[in-house]
Amino acid sequence: MKIIVCYKWVPDEQDIKIAADLKVDMSMAKWKISEYDKNAIEEAALQAENNAAEVTCLTFGTSKAKQSLKDALSRGPEKAYWVNDAKAENTDGFVTANILAAAIKKVGIPDLIFFGEGSEDSYGQQVGPRVAALLDIPALTFVTKTAVKDDAITTTRSIGNCTEDVTASFPAVVCMLPEINKPRIPSLKQVLKASKKPVEEIKLADLGLSDAELTVKNKVKSIQGFVMNRKNKLYQDGSSAEKVKALVSDLAKEGLA
Amino acid sequence: MAGIYIYSEEQPVTEQLLTAGKTLANSLNEKINVIDFSEQDSESFIKKGADHVLCLKSDHPWPESYAQIIADILKEKDPTVVLIGGTLRGKTTASIIAAKLQTGLVNNAFAIEGSGSVIETKRIMYSGIAVCTEELCHGSIVTIEPRTFDAAQDSDHQGDTENIDIQPEAKTITVGNVCPIVHQDNDIATAEKLVCVGRGLSDQNDMKLAEELAEKLHAQICCTRSVAEDYHWLTTDKYVGLSGAKVKPNLYISMGVSGQVQHVAGMRDSKVIVAVDTNENAPIFAAADYGIVGDLHEIIPLLTKELG
Amino acid sequence: MSDEEKFDAIIIGAGPAGCACAYILAREGKNVLVIERGDCPGSKNVTGGRLYTYALELVEPGLYKDAALERQVVREQIMMLSEKQGITIDYYNENLEENTSIPQSFTVLRAKFDQWFADKAEEQGAMIASGIRVDDLLMENDKIVGVKAGEDEMYADIVIAADGVNSLMGQKAGLKEEWNGHEVGVGIKEIIELPQDVINNRFAVGQGEGAARMILGQTGGIQGGGFIYTNKTSVSVGMVVSPAELAKQDKSVADIYQDFKMHPAIQKLISDGTTAEYSAHLVPENGWNSVPKKLYRDGFLMVGDAAGFCINTGTIIRGIDLAIVSGVAAAKAILKESEQPGIQYMKNLEELSLVPTMKLFAGWPQITSIPRMVQKYPDMINETMDFMFKVDGKVPPKMTGALKNIMKSHVSLFELISDGWRGFRAI
Ligand SMILES: Cc1cc2nc3c(=O)[nH]c(=O)nc-3n(C[C@H](O)[C@H](O)[C@H](O)COP(=O)(O)OP(=O)(O)OC[C@H]3O[C@@H](n4cnc5c(N)ncnc54)[C@H](O)[C@@H]3O)c2cc1C
Ligand SMILES: Cc1cc2nc3c(=O)[nH]c(=O)nc-3n(C[C@H](O)[C@H](O)[C@H](O)COP(=O)(O)OP(=O)(O)OC[C@H]3O[C@@H](n4cnc5c(N)ncnc54)[C@H](O)[C@@H]3O)c2cc1C
Repeated sequence: MKIIVCYKWVPDEQDIKIAADLKVDMSMAKWKISEYDKNAIEEAALQAENNAAEVTCLTFGTSKAKQSLKDALSRGPEKAYWVNDAKAENTDGFVTANILAAAIKKVGIPDLIFFGEGSEDSYGQQVGPRVAALLDIPALTFVTKTAVKDDAITTTRSIGNCTEDVTASFPAVVCMLPEINKPRIPSLKQVLKASKKPVEEIKLADLGLSDAELTVKNKVKSIQGFVMNRKNKLYQDGSSAEKVKALVSDLAKEGLA
Repeated sequence: MAGIYIYSEEQPVTEQLLTAGKTLANSLNEKINVIDFSEQDSESFIKKGADHVLCLKSDHPWPESYAQIIADILKEKDPTVVLIGGTLRGKTTASIIAAKLQTGLVNNAFAIEGSGSVIETKRIMYSGIAVCTEELCHGSIVTIEPRTFDAAQDSDHQGDTENIDIQPEAKTITVGNVCPIVHQDNDIATAEKLVCVGRGLSDQNDMKLAEELAEKLHAQICCTRSVAEDYHWLTTDKYVGLSGAKVKPNLYISMGVSGQVQHVAGMRDSKVIVAVDTNENAPIFAAADYGIVGDLHEIIPLLTKELG
Repeated sequence: MSDEEKFDAIIIGAGPAGCACAYILAREGKNVLVIERGDCPGSKNVTGGRLYTYALELVEPGLYKDAALERQVVREQIMMLSEKQGITIDYYNENLEENTSIPQSFTVLRAKFDQWFADKAEEQGAMIASGIRVDDLLMENDKIVGVKAGEDEMYADIVIAADGVNSLMGQKAGLKEEWNGHEVGVGIKEIIELPQDVINNRFAVGQGEGAARMILGQTGGIQGGGFIYTNKTSVSVGMVVSPAELAKQDKSVADIYQDFKMHPAIQKLISDGTTAEYSAHLVPENGWNSVPKKLYRDGFLMVGDAAGFCINTGTIIRGIDLAIVSGVAAAKAILKESEQPGIQYMKNLEELSLVPTMKLFAGWPQITSIPRMVQKYPDMINETMDFMFKVDGKVPPKMTGALKNIMKSHVSLFELISDGWRGFRAI
């Protein structure tokens, strides 16, 4: 069984600052593998350990994403594919899916393709199922459990008001919810092994995509800090009981107590 | 051809999308088309503003398998914009349709506005720190989460219905064992009042404090992801946030919740937010209307008592 | 034990000491592994903010030009605070090395600098394993032969402890004891972001130029001092105080630091800034007296803060440079391939002037350890200033009498002379 797991290299939102003019400042941000994607990598690693799956990982990123390869490989995959292009700086679900699907076709469609439920930065929640559609294979999304048997995968999906078990024969795309597993913290040996694993850089030009396929669809007009419009009233005077009294009286004024 | 197309596998959500659709239709001067499965709903959709209802008749049970057919229809109709209910199924369906049509997709838009021929959407980025405003390409798909808009009002609006027999195929898929999630209490997504517990609770016994307060307020109890996923004191359908439930009660009281962006992203549409936390620098206070810096073990019983 | 799992050297800690050592060893073809517990180098590290360039020159001439540095320090400032007043001595000097024109020092941000330095070492061929904590040393026949991290064991000809002030590895090797309260300072440090031109204006520096300011007074009467370093678009503000004295007080470091920051003369420098980082860390403060008796044993060397190599004179703190120098000394000792790298290491430290410099500063920073230095003198000087500049329409007191009175109210003549002597002796 072959699995390709896709991940995105994202800025850590803890370090993203919003300036007074609401501009988003990422200059201090450390970058990391999107947390949701770590769940996908972990699930693939578990398949490697338990079902002898052959796991490779794939990322589309700028030259900076190079830093992610070692981390990704230390989490289990035996090989990394990296579509390295500055376009990753300004992309959308449409372009990203076109690129990933083309890259997957180029390296050979595996039995399973894993994704996280969305990327941590833009949380577009579409690349996985888009890739499935482009490859014309089923997409199993919001998955909390996987089980592989013969040439099929059975997943438990948790989709709001119900859970359902869906089985798909290979090949299929599976997108994981975070509760599916706890991503490992790579051990020293895993980290060392990672530095010896092969990395294959894929050039965008080799994917044979048209300009239209590489042009974002919706135009981003602005990305601005979210403004929280709240009263921010802190009760500071008096005893705890007095503070609580003041709070309840304010809630009463709002018709809530 | 043009037009606004609306689809959700859940009828109440379609009715909410009609609210957004009507505003858009006005400013863009376009017709509203609804895609649905049940003939019975079409009358109600028309009353709520649909000009045209396409009723897809099939007995396939898996909503996701309709994506290809909807894509085929949309391809032919060449819509201006497509609004799809942002349930989890809806977002998956929307992504597949968008890929089939090679068009743009904005998931989880919380606002959509049209003027002239330009449509703009807003959605959150970076776990809720930022808002991204996008100008849609022609024919873009937009998903809007349930309860973002109220259901459209009934009127004497006129429209027609078209029935289409379809044959969805999902050869490679079998669906079994569909279990509705039984919400222990009510669904927190629709609760009027919520008490939210975070990791500030010392142990599971402290849940009592929350329960007593909730009982006084006739509120439901929800939690942060850590409480559901690390402590398992509540089930995962009870956690609020970006990857959890989106809630917008009239009153939201948090105790021992630090207020990380991912959590706040799920509750900041609440009408009134109250926070109790020992750390005065906790980000929850920036998201709150009323705050008490203090130990929940002391404050919450006082609050329960004071609420009389 | 397979070849794969044996390195020429394992370095614990990717701070300046570890990176310097790794850089040279790797450059000279050694198979080096650096293990860093932070998710990336520098992520957990705290420093004030100034690096003396000469140390990087020892690693590789010209290396500093490419380094992740903030501003070249051209203003050295000493500030003395009393409750509401402050006097600043400002010394402008571009401080270029005479022959080479190399600037003497730069401000640095560790998150950037350490990452840069580790990347450089990696470029030379060192392997950097981040996000991994070394838990123990592996010992065979009284020789240290490797490290243990979690379940994993890894072997090397030599293990270098560059694991910072608390050096667990030094303790495991039996060379180092836990710190006593009087041997270390507690450092608090905050990075406050400000626009570049605001920093340029407030500190009267040009583009790329920076100020380093040491501050006496307003440490709650506790021995210690504050600092402000200007980075490109932030200032590093903090203080280092004695934990032993702190213990006698009911105020926490955080409280003292808050008061310090609120001092009007300090507040003006940092107002409207946003805090990007707040951290606390120990600083070895006891000079040569607290350097472990032995810095090596078979298969093992200690460098940087782990070895206690840090100097605080009260006007400057030096730790990063000494860390780098000791890393260089260790690497060179290993490259000599002598039977006893430990002895060679000590020789190198001597030759690179590190040991003699450390010996000069034995004991807590002499200047700030005089209690009067952190309270009375700053008060006195500020009162003197007040006298000299005050015009309130009344008849001013006579100069000599007034000055004598100010002095008498703060310190005795005897104290003044003896403090002068101690300060003199300390250097
Ligand atoms: C990709 C991603 C997605 C995520 N999605 C979500 C999500 O959807 N929902 C979600 O909730 N989280 C989510 N998280 C996790 C989130 O970042 C926080 O870790 C989490 O919300 C913190 O939960 P908490 O507030 O309960 O715990 P903590 O952050 O540990 O906060 C506990 C608080 O309790 C206070 N406290 C302690 N003792 C007391 C006391 N005695 N009295 C009063 N106060 C006390 C503390 O001061 C503190 O503020 C996500 C994280 C990531 C990386
Ligand atoms: C507040 C403050 C202000 C200062 N100001 C200055 C200044 O302006 N100029 C100056 O030159 N010096 C200054 N110093 C001192 C200087 O920061 C240190 O002397 C210097 O950082 C020492 O470098 P190092 O490489 O020995 O140790 P560190 O920089 O402490 O690096 C040790 C590394 O080892 C890692 N580590 C520790 N244990 C383990 C383990 N078990 N496994 C794996 N990795 C581990 C740590 O994560 C860390 O990255 C200041 C210090 C403080 C606290």
